[in-house]
Amino acid sequence: MKLKNILSLLLAFSMLISCQSFEDLQLDPNRPVQAEPSLILTAIEANAFSTVSAGAALASRQLIYTNSATDNQYYGWQRSGFGDYDQLRQVLKLREEADRTQNDSYRALALFFQSYYIIKLSNTFGDIPFTEAIKGQEGNFLPIYDSQESIFLQVLEDLKTANSLLNPESGEILGDIIYNGSQDKWKRLINSFTLRVLMSMSIKEGDSSLNLAGRFAEIINAPTIYPIMRDNQDNGALRFLDLEGNRYPFFNSNELRTAYYMEKSFVDRLKSKNDPRLFTFADQTANGRDLEESNFNAYEGMGGAEPLAENTNQILSGEGSPIERRYHSDPINQPSLLMGYSELAFTIAEAAHRGWVDLNTSQYYEAAIRASMEFNEISEEAIENYLAQEAVQYSTSDGLRKILEEKHTSFFMNSGWEAFYNQRRTGIPTFSLSDQIINPGGIPKRWMYPQNEIQLNLQNMNAALQRQFGGQDDINSLMWLLKP
Amino acid sequence: MKNFYKYFFLLTIAISVHLSNSELLYAQEKTVSGSVIDDLGDPIPGVSVLVKNSNIGVVTDLDGNFKISVPQSYDILRFSYIGYKTVEENIGNRTLFSIQLIPDVTDLESVVVTALGVEKSVKSLGYAVQEVDGRTLNKAREPNFINSLTGQVAGLQINNSTALFQDPAIRLRGAVPLIVIDGIPSTDNDFWKINADDVASINVLKGATASALYGAIGRNGALMITTKRGGKGTTVEINSSTMFQPSYLVIPEVQTTYGNGDNGQYAYVNGSGSGTEGFGWIWGPRMDVPDPTTASGFVERPQYNSPIDPITGERIPIPFISRGRDNIRNFFQNGLISSNNINVTSGNDQGNFRLSASNVYQKGLVPNTELNNTSFTVAGGYKLSEKLTADASLTYNRQYTENFPETPYGPENYLYNLVLWTGTDVDVRDLRDYWVAGQEGFQQKHFNNSYYNNPYFQANEYLRGYQKDNTFGQIKLDYKATDDLTFTLRSGMNVYALDRTDKEPKSYVKYGRVSRGNFYIYNSGQINMNTDFIMSYKKQLGENFVINTNAGGSNRFIRFRSESLNTDGLAIPNFYNVANSEQPLQGSNRLTQEQINSVFGTVDFEFMNAVFLTVTGRNDWVSTLPVNNNSFFYPSVTLAGTISDFVTFPRVIDFVKVRGGWSQVSDGRISSNPYSHIQAYSPGINWGGSPSLVFPSALINPNVQPETSDSFEFGLDTRFFRGKLGLDLTYFQIRDFNNLISVPVSQASGYTSRLENGAEFTRKGWELMLNANPISKNDFNWNVSLNLSTYKRVLTESFDGSDRFGNIQVGERTDQLFSNSQYQRTPEGRLILGQNGFPIRDPYQRMMGFQNPDYILGIQNTFSYKQFRLGFGFDGRIGGTIYSTTHEKMWWGGTHPGTVNQFREDANNGIRSYVADGVVVTGGSVSYDDFGNILEDSRTYAENERAVNYIAWNKTTLNAEYTHYFDASFIKLREVSLTYQVPPSLLKRTSLQNASISLVGRNLLLWSNVENIDPDSGVDNLQTPSVRNIGFNINVSF
Repeated sequence: MKLKNILSLLLAFSMLISCQSFEDLQLDPNRPVQAEPSLILTAIEANAFSTVSAGAALASRQLIYTNSATDNQYYGWQRSGFGDYDQLRQVLKLREEADRTQNDSYRALALFFQSYYIIKLSNTFGDIPFTEAIKGQEGNFLPIYDSQESIFLQVLEDLKTANSLLNPESGEILGDIIYNGSQDKWKRLINSFTLRVLMSMSIKEGDSSLNLAGRFAEIINAPTIYPIMRDNQDNGALRFLDLEGNRYPFFNSNELRTAYYMEKSFVDRLKSKNDPRLFTFADQTANGRDLEESNFNAYEGMGGAEPLAENTNQILSGEGSPIERRYHSDPINQPSLLMGYSELAFTIAEAAHRGWVDLNTSQYYEAAIRASMEFNEISEEAIENYLAQEAVQYSTSDGLRKILEEKHTSFFMNSGWEAFYNQRRTGIPTFSLSDQIINPGGIPKRWMYPQNEIQLNLQNMNAALQRQFGGQDDINSLMWLLKP
Repeated sequence: MKNFYKYFFLLTIAISVHLSNSELLYAQEKTVSGSVIDDLGDPIPGVSVLVKNSNIGVVTDLDGNFKISVPQSYDILRFSYIGYKTVEENIGNRTLFSIQLIPDVTDLESVVVTALGVEKSVKSLGYAVQEVDGRTLNKAREPNFINSLTGQVAGLQINNSTALFQDPAIRLRGAVPLIVIDGIPSTDNDFWKINADDVASINVLKGATASALYGAIGRNGALMITTKRGGKGTTVEINSSTMFQPSYLVIPEVQTTYGNGDNGQYAYVNGSGSGTEGFGWIWGPRMDVPDPTTASGFVERPQYNSPIDPITGERIPIPFISRGRDNIRNFFQNGLISSNNINVTSGNDQGNFRLSASNVYQKGLVPNTELNNTSFTVAGGYKLSEKLTADASLTYNRQYTENFPETPYGPENYLYNLVLWTGTDVDVRDLRDYWVAGQEGFQQKHFNNSYYNNPYFQANEYLRGYQKDNTFGQIKLDYKATDDLTFTLRSGMNVYALDRTDKEPKSYVKYGRVSRGNFYIYNSGQINMNTDFIMSYKKQLGENFVINTNAGGSNRFIRFRSESLNTDGLAIPNFYNVANSEQPLQGSNRLTQEQINSVFGTVDFEFMNAVFLTVTGRNDWVSTLPVNNNSFFYPSVTLAGTISDFVTFPRVIDFVKVRGGWSQVSDGRISSNPYSHIQAYSPGINWGGSPSLVFPSALINPNVQPETSDSFEFGLDTRFFRGKLGLDLTYFQIRDFNNLISVPVSQASGYTSRLENGAEFTRKGWELMLNANPISKNDFNWNVSLNLSTYKRVLTESFDGSDRFGNIQVGERTDQLFSNSQYQRTPEGRLILGQNGFPIRDPYQRMMGFQNPDYILGIQNTFSYKQFRLGFGFDGRIGGTIYSTTHEKMWWGGTHPGTVNQFREDANNGIRSYVADGVVVTGGSVSYDDFGNILEDSRTYAENERAVNYIAWNKTTLNAEYTHYFDASFIKLREVSLTYQVPPSLLKRTSLQNASISLVGRNLLLWSNVENIDPDSGVDNLQTPSVRNIGFNINVSF
C-alpha cells in the first residue's frame, strides 16, 4: 500500500472527528437564560387565579366524596406543603425583570402576588418564613420564620405600596391574561384584596393597635386613591378556554363525575331558602330525574360527617345529588376567581355590620348575592324573587349569620379555601361533626409544617413552634390570627 | 471469546503446520480423518492434529474436520488447541475419529478483550473480569440478549420485566455499566439492537479499575461485546429458535364470589356511576345466587349487556353470575418468540467476512401486540498489505411494532382493566364487539365508561407504534510499523432514528379523564461518533522483563434531536393525522450536542511472565461542565502476581494468583441533559396564545466540578485438583465523592434543591465465582459454575457537615424505602385505631425496608454425554423489599380473594362487623423527636372493639392490616436446555457439516414469598403476568 493511500485513509478518518468548540457547546438551544417580565407574569397569573378546589368544598361541607373516607371531609389531615414558595420564586423573578426594565407596573404586581401567596401560606400554617424567604440565590437556605402578626402588617404595607405604584405612567403590562393590562382594574383588585386581608383578622378587631376598622375605612373612604371593584366585570377572574391546558380544571374528570356528591347541610340550606343556585350547583338525584330541574324535591345531599358506607348507600338507593355536570363536562364552565366582586361586597357588608364603616349593610349584602347569582347565570327574575324573601333579607339581629351563610354559598367551587377560612374565623355556618371524624379535636385549625422542613430547616421551624404553640406541631392549635 | 481467539490464531497455525507437512514424504501411509468438537458440541476449527513424535500435522478446518496421512510406524494422534486440554488417541486400526476437547480451566494464557479493545492474557489482569460465551445466548432465546445474562455473572444484577418490549434493568456492582460493541462505546443503552446470533463473546469488566481507560462512561464497568467474524473456508449457518409461552409462571388470582358494585349493590344505569351501579368498585353483590323465581334460576340484575325492553326502554335483568372467572386467561393469548438467523462466513489468508441476517418476532400476551426486530450485519477483515490490516463491521437494525402495550398502573394497563377493576360478572369474551351500536368511532362499549377501558377496544384501537432504525459499526486500521510498534485507528458510530406514534380513540379512558381522541407523534434521532487513535509499543528487555506501552487520543461527539407533536381532540374519529386536530396543535422540540476529547496512555510491566504491573492515565475535556472546570485526569494502577510461580504449594493447589487495583474516575455529566450546568428558564403554560416562562426549582452552582469515584479492588484466583476446581474471589470498595448532587433545601428558600458538589457514598461488596468439573470421563462430563455476589451502598458523608442527606443518615444504606402514608402503630407494631374504628395516620415518614437484595446468586450446570448435552441454571436474589401495587389495589378494589369472608357479607347487608386487629389509646401521651422516633411514651391501650363496615375499611385504608411491602427474595429455575448434536458419521452422507437440535425452556419455576407477582422485575407497578418459555432450537451449517 502506498503512502498516498494511507494518507487518504487518514484524511477520511479525520473527517469523522468533530471539532466543535467547547464554548459553542455551552449554549443551550432549548432554554433561554433571560425572560421578559410579561412571560413570567402569564405563568404566575395562570397559577394564582386557578383556585377551584374540590378539597376545599369537602372541608367546607359543600361536597362529599364516595371513593374513600377522605382526610378533607373527615378532618384527618396532618401536614401541608410549601409549594407556594415555588410561585414566590417566580414572583421574585418578575420583580428582578421589572427592575431590569424599570417598570413600576410589574413591580406593583410582583408585590401583590407576593402578598397573595404569603397570606395563603400563613393562613395554612401560622408563622412562616417571609423576610428571609426566597433568598436561596443569595445563599440563605435556612430562612427564619416570621410571626404571623408581622407578616400581616407588612403585607398591608406592601399592598398599599402596590396600589400607589400603579398609575397610567407606571409602564405597560403585557402578557396579562386577567385584566389585559388595565392598571385601574389591578388597583381595584389589590385594594379589594386588602379588605379581604383586613376582614380575615376580624377576631382581632378589639386590638386597637391593629386598628382594623380604621384601616378598612381608609380604603372605603378614599375611592379615588383606593379604587375597589364595582361589579363582576372587575372580578379577579381567570377565564377558561377550550384549548389544551386552558380548560376548566375538572373538565372530563372521572372522579368529579362519579365520586363527588352534594353535602346535606348545604343542599338543605339552599332548599330552605329556595335558592335557585342549587340547580346550577347540583344535578337531580337518580330518583328525582323525572322531576323538573327547578323542583327542589329533586335534590338531596349526604352528610359530610356521616359514615362513608351510609352515604354510598343513600346514593345507591337513588337519593343523592351529584355535582352539576357543567363542572366536569363543560371545558369553559365558569371563571376561576382569585377574588370576585361578590366576596368584596359581602366583606363590606360585614364591615358595615360590625360598624367598621358607616355604610348601608343591606345594600352591599344584596349586591353581593346579586353578583354571586349573576356569576352563576341566574335570571334577573329569579334573583328578584330570591331577594324578596324574608328569610334572605338582611336583618341586624342575625345579620352576621345571613351574610356569612350567603358568602359560604357564593364560594362554591371558587376562591380557594375562603369558604373554610371564613368559617374558621366566624364559626358560620356550622360544619357537622360526628364520631366518624378522624381528628379528635374536630375541625382542624391549621396544617402541620411540611415533612421537608424537619429535615432541612429544623431549628427555625422548632423556634416558630415554640413561639406559637409551646413547641407542638398540632392541627388543633390556634394561630395568632385566630386568637382574640 | 474463544471463537475470536480461534480465528486469530488460525492463520498462523495453518501456515506453520502446512509448511512443515509439505516437506515430508513417507512411503507407507494410511489416511485417517475425523472431527473435533468442544464441550458444547460445536466444531473447533484450527485444532492442531499432530502425529506424536513426528513433525507431521494438520489443523482442523472451519467445521472441525481433518484428514491426515499417518506413516505406519506411528501410532498416536495428538489433538491440541489453546485453551483446551490436549487429547491423545491411539490409532490402531481406526480410520475415523470423533474427538471432544474439554476447556482447560488452568489455562491462563488465553486472552480477553479489555478496555479500548486491547487484548490481554487473563493471567496479567489486576482486576476482575468474567467472560460469557456468545453460544450460551442463542439457543434458549430471550427477546433481549441482556435477559440471557441473568445469573451468569457475579456482581451483575438483571431485573427482568414481564412485559413486552420493556428494558431489563441492569446493574453491575449497583450501577449501570457501559456497553461497548467491538471497541465502540454504545451509550444509547439500546439492548434490543444487539442480535445474540452475532455475539461471539461478552466480557464483563466489573469495575472502574478495569474500564478506567474509557473515562467517565466507563466509571461503572463495561460489557465488552465482541461480534463474530469469518473463518477459513465458506460456511453457511442457520440458527432457528421458537419459544412458546404456553403457561403462566405467576398470574394474579381474583375472587369470583362478589361482582361489580358497591356496598353489595349493583344495577347498570349508564356506565358512569350514576345511581346504583357502584362507581366502578368490585364491592358488589354476591354472584351465582340461586333464585327460583327467575327464568335463569339465578338472581338477575340489569347489566351493561342486558337487552333493552322495546316498550319501556328499560334494561331487562339478566343473571348475575360469575361467567368471567377466567377473564385473564380468556383475554391473554399465548405469546411466542421466534428467532431466525442465517449467516455466511468465508475467509482465506488475506481476510474474511461474515454476513448475517436475523429476525426476532415476538407475539405479545395481549392480542394485537407484537415486536419485530430485524438485523443485517456485515463484518470482516482484510490484510491490505504486509503491514496494514483493516477490520470493519456494520449493522443495520430495525425494531418495529404497530402496537405494544403500556405498562404502568392506570387504565392504560391491561391488568388494570382485566384483573383489578372488573368483577367477574363481566365476561371479557362478551366485550369483543367493542363499539356502542350507532356510536362507532365515538363511544366504546364497556360496563364502565368513566374509569376503565374495554380490553379489546384498547388492544385494537389504542395503538402505540414504534419504529426504530439503528445503524452502528466501526472501521479499524492496524498499521504494524515494526515488530514492536503498531498504530491503530478506529472510528465507530451509533446512529438511530426513532419514530413513535400513539393513536388514542375517542372515549378512551386515561387516568382521570376521558379522551376526545388524539394523535401523538414523537420523532427523535441521535448520532454518536467515536474516534480513537492508539500507538502501541512492546519491547522485551532482557529475558524476564517486557514493557508494553499504549498512547492515544480520542474524540466523542453526540448529537440528539427530538420533535413531538400532538392534536388537541380529533375532528373525525379514527382518522390519525395531525391535520385532523379539533383545536390548535401542541408541539415541542429539543436539540442537544455534547463532546468529549481525550488523551490516554498505559504502561504494562511484565516480569518473569508472573508479575504484571499496569499503570494507566487519561485526561478528558468535556462540554457538559463550565469550560473552566471541564478538564480532568483519571489514573489507575493494577498489579497481578502468580504466587504459585514462586512458592511451592501442596499438590492439590495448581495455581494461585493475587491481584489488586486502584483507579480514580471522574464524571462531568450531570444528567442526561448535557446543558444541566446552565441556569435557565423553562417553558411554562401557554394561555390562549400567551406563552410563558418559569424559573426552575433547582438552583445551579455555576462552579460545579466533576464528581469522582475512587475504586479499589482485591482478588484471588485459584485452581485446584489439576484444574477440576477454580475459585475466584473479589472484594471491591468504591468511594463516590465530590458527587454532583441535588442537595434538597428548605422550599422556603425559593428552591427545592441546589446542584452542588458534595456528599460521599461508599459501595462495597464481594463477588465469588466457583467453577468445578466434578466428573470428566471419556464421554461424560459435568461442569458446574456458581456465582455469588453482594454489595451495599452507604452514605459516608453528607453535605456541608450535616449528619443526613435527605432521608438518609450518615452511616446508613442509601437504598432504604420510605413511606409517607403509614398508620400509627404501637412500639410492638400493632395498629392504633381511632374512635371511629379506623386507623390513624402517622404524620412521620417510616422506613419500610431495603430495596437491594443481600445476595445475588446463580448456578449453571452442564452435563454432556456423547452427543447429548443437558444444561440447567438456577438464579435468584436473597433479601430486598418490594412494594406490590397489585396487592394493594386488589384489597382496595375488592378483587383480592382474601376479601371473601363473613365481614364482607355483613357489609353487603349493611352490618358493621369488622373489628380491626389493633388497639385504641385509653390514656397517657407520647412525644416524638423530630424524625418520629418515640422519646417518651406513657400511652395505655385497650383492645379495639369498635366494629366498622368492612367495605369502608378496605376502601379507606387499602386494608391497613398490610403495608403491602414484601420480602423480594426469590429463586428461579431460569433455564433448562437439552441438545443433541448429530454425530459426524450421520452427517457424512448429507451436505451438512454440523447439525444440532435443542429442547429449551426458560423462566420455568419460581420460589418466592410474594403472591401474584414475579419479584424478578424488581418493581410491581401492576405487572404483566410472568410466563414460561418453552421451545426448541435448530442449528445447522453446511
